Amino acid sequence: MIPLLSMQDVRGGYGDADILQGVSIDVAPREIVVIVGPNGAGKSTAMKAVVGLLDVRGGQILFDGDDITGWTPDRIVRRGICYVPQVDNVFREMTVHENFEMGAFLRRGDLTAAYDRVYGLFPDLRAKRRNLAGDLSGGQRQMVAMGRALMLEPGLLLLDEPTAGLSPKYMEQIFQIIRDVRDSGVSIMLVEQHAKQALAFCDRGYVLATGANRHQGTGAALLADREVAQMFLGA
Amino acid sequence: MDPMGLLNYALFMGTLIGIYALLALALNIHWGLTGLFNAGVAGFFAVGAYVSAILTGIPASGRIGGFELPVPVGWLGAMLAAGAIAWPIGRICLRLRSDYLAIATIGVAEIIRLVIRSEDWLTGGPRGIIGVPRPFGDLDYMASQAAYLLLVTGVVLVVYWAVERQLRSPWGRMMKAIRDNEAAAAAMGKDVEKRRLEAFIFGSAIMGLAGALFVHFNRSITPEAIDPMIATFLVWIMLILGGSGNNRGAILGAAVIWLIWSLSELLTDRLPADMATQAKYVRMFVIGLMLQLVLRFRPEGILPEESGQRGRKPPASTG
Amino acid sequence: MTVVSFINFYLVPGVVLGSIYALGAIGITMVFGILRFAHFAHGDMATLGAFFALALVGAGMGPWTALPFAMIVTAVVAIAVDRGFYEHLAKRPKILTVIASLGIALMLRSVVQVVWGVDPQTYSRGIVRPESFGGILLRPRELYTLATVVALVLGLVAFLKYTRWGKAMRAMSDNPDLARLSGVDNRRVTMLTWATVGALTTASGFMLGINNELTSMMGWSMLLPMFAAAILGGVGRVEGAVVGGLIVGLAEELSVLVMPGQYKMATAFAILLAILVLRPSGVFKGKVL
Repeated sequence: MIPLLSMQDVRGGYGDADILQGVSIDVAPREIVVIVGPNGAGKSTAMKAVVGLLDVRGGQILFDGDDITGWTPDRIVRRGICYVPQVDNVFREMTVHENFEMGAFLRRGDLTAAYDRVYGLFPDLRAKRRNLAGDLSGGQRQMVAMGRALMLEPGLLLLDEPTAGLSPKYMEQIFQIIRDVRDSGVSIMLVEQHAKQALAFCDRGYVLATGANRHQGTGAALLADREVAQMFLGA
Repeated sequence: MDPMGLLNYALFMGTLIGIYALLALALNIHWGLTGLFNAGVAGFFAVGAYVSAILTGIPASGRIGGFELPVPVGWLGAMLAAGAIAWPIGRICLRLRSDYLAIATIGVAEIIRLVIRSEDWLTGGPRGIIGVPRPFGDLDYMASQAAYLLLVTGVVLVVYWAVERQLRSPWGRMMKAIRDNEAAAAAMGKDVEKRRLEAFIFGSAIMGLAGALFVHFNRSITPEAIDPMIATFLVWIMLILGGSGNNRGAILGAAVIWLIWSLSELLTDRLPADMATQAKYVRMFVIGLMLQLVLRFRPEGILPEESGQRGRKPPASTG
Repeated sequence: MTVVSFINFYLVPGVVLGSIYALGAIGITMVFGILRFAHFAHGDMATLGAFFALALVGAGMGPWTALPFAMIVTAVVAIAVDRGFYEHLAKRPKILTVIASLGIALMLRSVVQVVWGVDPQTYSRGIVRPESFGGILLRPRELYTLATVVALVLGLVAFLKYTRWGKAMRAMSDNPDLARLSGVDNRRVTMLTWATVGALTTASGFMLGINNELTSMMGWSMLLPMFAAAILGGVGRVEGAVVGGLIVGLAEELSVLVMPGQYKMATAFAILLAILVLRPSGVFKGKVL
């Protein structure tokens, strides 16, 4: 099967130095791919490269038949990739519903089905739709952030550490939601610090270190791998 | 214009260039070195002028002052007063962002202007203060002008030397470290706020000194003598054009802009009367436009800072 | 002093002045919030707008009819100023744009001074007698001023709350990176912001002129009160700017009870300093830049 997203030997960085030293990651349709690795491995940077927020100086990024290397973020959003940053990922001064509206900013026409779908994924938010996003708890804010991104019904959803700072209860909820999103036809690539839990629930995973690929395989295979386990002792 | 007239005019211009050069050097301490947006230059200038006038001038009824103290005392008083005004403003505003400091300094200049206009017992109100002694004032006209120009040049050189020396001192190096990377400097335990306050007071005192030099040159001061916003704006464009962060640039900018400003006045004075008043505003428009062009095409100025671009790049975002 | 004379000599002028400041402060707070810098040309833009209206009045229009046209023209001028002078500074430190705006202030003011001169002017001649509403004296122009300000503020609030581009503006003020990631066109929002700011500042200049007189320095003299009001209300908050404007206006008019009249202007400065010392985020908790 042709991958939906294919990062091929991508190099790049923000200033003069390259953070990514040749990263290759594939995401198939309807797949959850997790990127794990020690701090500074370049996991978030790799995600930013996909969404157009990084200066890519080598390699290629292909998405659904297009070469999107070097595209601007808003063009990539239009193309069908939505990104949820780790922090500052909601409009705090706007209500939950307005956040979703902004998510759908590029869409016209009747959006009732889209709203139903998103509120269906996050039923707790329906009661809070008129609350300001900034007033919600961390877990609920994370849901608003994901909901905003899903309003555009992307083919690929990028999540940067979606469970950071969340209680185990919310973490489990988020993982379940991610599974539901995949089942609805969206592929998800996520960066995670909680490596063990993430590898347990994903389809495939990549381990990055110092800006390059180290290991890859199914979640189960990576969990069983002794070298990987050693890297994350205590993760 | 006959040669004598030309020479007199040149001497006159030279003195004013010197005074503006002082202001530009002072603003360079604020902006070029410390990144402080002082939009109230004229206020500190006015304080210096009036304090020196009060201390050294002849008495007048209804007004305090007229202590007829020696001129150097007046100058010292001017610097102290300007620095004293800078202290509370600095304490309140320096830790907030530049925009807020700018508004606050605009406000300070406005308040100072109000006080000058309203408090007759202190400043002589609209009449101002006359009878301010002028060093070398007893010589005949051209000699006196030349002598004062030499005096001003001397002051500028001394201040230039003093500022340059400060910049090369540990204090100066610390200021540059704070300007270029405040977070790192603070992490190293440098008292950023205190250093900024010192720079603010230092620069303001020099602005006061410039005011004192001005008032002794004119032998008098009135609220109309200087249009505060024009003066402040001229000093700003002098610094930006000359090269902010660079003391020689400040002096060069003062010379260039003042030359343009006063030569354009010569030109427009020759126009018929009704056009001449409008011409003044056209000149202001042109100066405003010049600032935009400099910001667009040569923001580092004629003489860029020696140690590299004086542009505070925002910190690089990290993954 | 009786209640009625207090209302007539202090409250009414305070509210009228306050609503003029409120309109100006809204523009300032929008530029602070969405474009993230202190716009020092704001006052002189108000002056220019007011004088555009004067020109139309000179051509035969009634003042209040001229106002909407003047607002549109100044909106276009504001966009042009941004395109010509601020846009290319967008990627550099914001303080350079602030410096540029100081120069634009000078340029706008000098245009007014060249074209219309520096002598005070008025929209209409003649004395207007106030009407009595149960002892409270109000002139027609004061009523129109209040009504217009209320209408403009409500219109703006509705625009920001209910329309697509109004929400886009709020989003950009809230989180510019996320707005971009949601596909909001930065340039469009900037243009809309300048159009709104230009129009509103014209209205505030016009109303200052119609309740007093028009001078070339009138806008600049409003700058400090407008900034004080915007910061008092909370930077980036439209409702804060309105409340802040009213407070500053009332304070200024009431200040003559405790201070000599020439120091009216100092009230705004005192409020500004007080807020910066006590609560820089303002009453409604805006951004602290």
